[in-house]
Amino acid sequence: MKVRDIMTTKVESIEPTAVLRKAARKMSELNIGSMAVVDDDGKLLGIITDRDISVYAIAMGRNPQDTEVQKVMTRDVATCLADQDISDAATIMQQQHIRRLAVMDNNLLSGFLSVDDLAKASSDLAGAVLVAATPIH
Amino acid sequence: MKVNEIMNTKVQSTTPLATTKEAARQMHDIHVGCLTVMEGERLVGILTDRDICCKVTATGRDAGFTKVHEIMTTDVATCFPEQGVEEAAEIMMKAQVRRLAVVDHDSRITGFLSVDDLARASHQLASSVLESSTTYH
Repeated sequence: MKVRDIMTTKVESIEPTAVLRKAARKMSELNIGSMAVVDDDGKLLGIITDRDISVYAIAMGRNPQDTEVQKVMTRDVATCLADQDISDAATIMQQQHIRRLAVMDNNLLSGFLSVDDLAKASSDLAGAVLVAATPIH
Repeated sequence: MKVNEIMNTKVQSTTPLATTKEAARQMHDIHVGCLTVMEGERLVGILTDRDICCKVTATGRDAGFTKVHEIMTTDVATCFPEQGVEEAAEIMMKAQVRRLAVVDHDSRITGFLSVDDLARASHQLASSVLESSTTYH
């Protein structure tokens, strides 16, 4: 099975110059925990998560009304390809101890593959990813 | 297999009157995403990194002045240490959560059981929990 068969194609994104309060509101309203950070040309610049906002910005006393997303986003985004096999994608997640990959197609962001998506296709692959993931207890 | 064989017994806690900024800082320093809120020996709630993002930052509140008790979740999903892991997985599925507080019969908290812990016991159970829970990308 290929990544494109099970990935989530609905990509929520935000601009790098948006402030953290706006990003937090958007994640809260959409009931999501992460967003792609993309520039005007649709190029993927990074990922921002609810945890980045609370644990890295708020914890350090940054003001969410004037701190831009690009200051706290993760720039080094782990990716896989849409036509890769899902077992290869699971291996990438395991090796990097993460639960989500950005899916690229022709150098453009075309979706996300999470361990939840993986669970729908293979409980063994999803289980292995969870066991390898960095625990956030 | 029983919950107490795979649960995480390291319980990190905060207090209802701590500020959410202090709680965020604690989550940062000890690399956790969830704190128990204790009033003396009594478990009164749970606070996650996402709570701080969605209930403080998103709504424009000041984390330095917002207390933990104002935003914590008081309706905590729990299981018993001697329960079977299958039962614990069922509780997670019904409550639509990925983490349970493990409490003994005197209502004392003895640990946490996450879907990650579950994956170490059974890929199948962990995957079922992921599949049944609200997708959270």
